[in-house]
Order: sequence, then structure tokens, then C-alpha cells
Amino acid sequence: MSEAAGVIHDIGYQRYAGPRLGRGYVFTSLYVHSLRTAFGLGRSAKAKIFPWFVLGVVFLTGVILAAVRTQVPDAGVTYTAFVDMMAWLVVFFVAVVAPELVSRDLRAGVLPLYFSRPLRRSDYPYAKLAALATAVWLLLGAPQIVMFLIAAFSVDNMSQFWTEVGDVGPGLFYAALWAAVFAGIGLLIASLTGKRAFAAGGIVAVFLMTTPVVGVLSVMPSQTMNELALLFSPSSLVFGVGVWLFGSPDGNDNIGPFGPLYLAVTIGLVAGCVALLQARYRKVASS
Amino acid sequence: MVPQTIAWITARGLFGRRRFLLLIPLPLLVVGLAVLSRGFGVAPENWAQPVLVGLGLAVVLPVIALIVGTGVLGSEIDDGTIVHILTKPLPRWQIVLPKLVVATAVTTVTVSISLYVAGVLAHSVRLGLGLALAGLVGSLVYSALFLAMSLLTRRPVLLGLVYVLVWEGLLGNFVSGTRVLSVQQYVLTIADKIAPTGLLQSKVSLPVAIIMSAIFAVGFTVLAIDRLRSFSVAGETS
Repeated sequence: MSEAAGVIHDIGYQRYAGPRLGRGYVFTSLYVHSLRTAFGLGRSAKAKIFPWFVLGVVFLTGVILAAVRTQVPDAGVTYTAFVDMMAWLVVFFVAVVAPELVSRDLRAGVLPLYFSRPLRRSDYPYAKLAALATAVWLLLGAPQIVMFLIAAFSVDNMSQFWTEVGDVGPGLFYAALWAAVFAGIGLLIASLTGKRAFAAGGIVAVFLMTTPVVGVLSVMPSQTMNELALLFSPSSLVFGVGVWLFGSPDGNDNIGPFGPLYLAVTIGLVAGCVALLQARYRKVASS
Repeated sequence: MVPQTIAWITARGLFGRRRFLLLIPLPLLVVGLAVLSRGFGVAPENWAQPVLVGLGLAVVLPVIALIVGTGVLGSEIDDGTIVHILTKPLPRWQIVLPKLVVATAVTTVTVSISLYVAGVLAHSVRLGLGLALAGLVGSLVYSALFLAMSLLTRRPVLLGLVYVLVWEGLLGNFVSGTRVLSVQQYVLTIADKIAPTGLLQSKVSLPVAIIMSAIFAVGFTVLAIDRLRSFSVAGETS
């Protein structure tokens, strides 16, 4: 009868023929973007207040400690002691950053958009975790580098310099241990709720409420119990590994023969957090 | 009639969510540790400080007051339903006061019961009652503080955490001048003066504690009412 009313014209649309950046590129982009988010880079001034406040305090403390070390070499201020001192600030930093990284995405419902890219379901939590761990490591490691530089420029001979290098290496490793544990726990808690406020409260609550448990267990009338007490809070757990590897800062912390157990529990804790995160993100996108 | 309705909505908003479950483990931990210490026969001098003060008054009370206090108004601001209340022809105090009462009541019930049990296990019924009453005062002051905070800033929980962690936790222990402006010290003093057992060390005097608590509670409530008068609804912060 009548011919087809419409004609499909070729108006010159072209298929994309360039290179397709695959999974690895998406992963890297997500990681870099998350790392920038952690410090509020590329965000409004309001988003920078809290991370930069923590950064400022940590760097200030680092510089002051470095100055103390050059004047009083035997003050007992080591790189690992610096990390221990910053524990509460790290908790606060994680409580600020972890909800920023994952809770916003949950609340805005953008996860289906991420997963419609060539990004595997498991890549998202890995990228976020790596970004948060890197951010915490930078927070603890960068001031140590500053401390190291200040110390390195005030040494008298090369052997002192190499001692300094030998000190800062374990310090950076210790910071990495903190970063892994705190990032794992923080991100896991933050991934449970889309509200940043409650995620932050939950993270702080977990770290705060486990600390007195250690206090109580360390006065129990059993030596084994006292030596195991540090296991029961994330921050004291890492501290226990530090005591085993680098010795106790003031000689009062006795973990007995349980050093390897502390390390095993730390690794188990991080692995458990990663596994739970993966389990969480296996089904989260439907919501 | 209206205050009851607002109180009812607030309570339902608090209990109707899963996050309400967050309130349960903290008090249970206080009781659990007290029972554990008592069961193993540890002297109260050794465990009263970490459990009653370190966990109970310094962590459980402020953290629960923070979750509840910012939750009663802050969550309504967050999801925008505050508009429905604000557009009713109500004096602002009729909105703030019922919410404050609910926040105080929920915090008190959650905190004081566990503190009472732990206090009885540590020393005597008197210490338990002292701690419970101090918990009530602390709940009121903290709730007023965090309620006002949720109107002053878009990030009330983070600011509240800064207050609890940095001001009370870090500075309160090192810089003695900040103790006069620390709710934790008032609560500690009130509990200590009601039951002078020597287990709690108060660092400010009782009149200071009572007067400053009253100033904090009234001042921040008035501030919250005033802020709500000129409250403008905005989108989520970045």
C-alpha cells in the first residue's frame, strides 16, 4: 500500500572507534578520585576543613617532635612512638573520610552506575579500601618523612644518617600496619549506612568502646589474660604488634610470648574486614 | 496536644530505624565488664576507673547523647521533613522542647540503667544512684548541646565528635583550664559528691558543676530555639 512513512537518514553519527580503557583504567580512576576525596582535593572548602585540621595537627606535632629530637637525642621520641601518639587523630580522620568515600555513594544511589562500567563488583571496595589506607598511610608517613629530613640534615656523620634510615623504615612499615587495620574497620562500618553522620559515630564508637575493655583485662588477676589484653581493641592490637617487633616504648607493656599471635590476629582482622566488605558489596547495589 | 504529637513523631523517628540498635551494645558492654570484673574478684579500685569513668561517663554517655541528640532534629533536617513541622503555626519552643525531652529521656534510660548496675557492682547502691542521677544531668546537658549543634552546623556529628574527643578527651586531661567547660567533669563531680567513695576523682567543685550544667542546658536550649526561628532549609553539603 503506502510506502514506509519514515526514512532513516544517515546523518553521520559515528561509532566510537578509539581505544577502550578497560577495567584497570576504571579502577585507577576510582582509586585516584577517592584518594583526592579523602583530603578534600577538588571539593569545596567545607569538605577540606576536617581533613586539613587533622593534617595540620599531625604535621605540627611531627615538626615539634623533630625539633625536640635534634636538641635532646635521648628523649625517647621515635618514629613508632609518633605513630602511637597520633592514634586518636587517626580514628577521627578515618571517621571523617570513610563515610565520605562510601556512604555518599550509598545515599546517592550511584552504585548501579559504577557497576554498569567494566568494573567488577569486587573492584569497588578494593579501590576504596586502597584509597583510604593510602590516605591514612600518608597522614602518618608524610610527617615521619619530614621528621627524617630534619634529623638527616642535622646529623654529624654518615653512620648516624644510616641509623636514622634504619629507624624511619620500621616507622613507615608500622604506619602501614595502622593504615591497613584502621582503613579496613572504618570502611566496613561506613559501608553499612548511607548516612555519613551515623557512620562517623559508629566508627568512633567502635574504637572508643573497645579501649576500656583492654583497661579492664589488663588488671585481671591472670598474667596470661594481661598479656592478651591488648588484643581486644584495634588500636592496642597494632600497638601490641609494634611492641613485639620494635620493643616496648617505655618497657611497661608486656605481651609475653604472644607476639606472633598478635600479628596473626592483625592479619586475620584485616582479611576478615576485606571479606565482609566484599560480601556487603556483592548485594548492595540493588538498594 | 501539639507537643505530644511532636514528641511522638520524634520517638518514632528514633526507634523506627535500624540504627537504634546501635544504642544497645554500649550499655551492655558497661554492665558486662562490671560483671566480669566482679566475677573474677578484681578490686573495685582497679576496674572502677576504666569501666565507670573511662567507658561509662567518658564514652557511653556522650556517644549515645550524640547519636540521639543530633538524631532528634538533625535527621529531620537531613531528609527535609523538618519543613512539615516548621510550616505549622507553632512557637519554636514547642518544637525544640519536646524534642529535647525525648532525647534526654532516651539517653537517660539507655545510660543510667547500665551505670546504676555497674555502680552497685563496684561499690554500693548509693554509688549506683549517684551515677544514675549524674547520668540524667549529663543526658540533659549533652542533649541540649548536640541539639543546638544540629541547628548551628551542617555536620553536627563531626563537630560533636571533635568536642568529645579533642576537647574533653585530650585537652580535659592535660590542660586543666578546659575542665571548667567540660560536661564530663560536671557529671563526674555530681556523681562523686552524691556518693563520695574515692573511686571517682572529681576535679571541679560542686557549685561550679551544678551552675555550669544549668547554664549549658538552658543556654543551648535558648540558642536552639533562636536558631530555629531563622532556620533556612538548604540542600546537602558537599
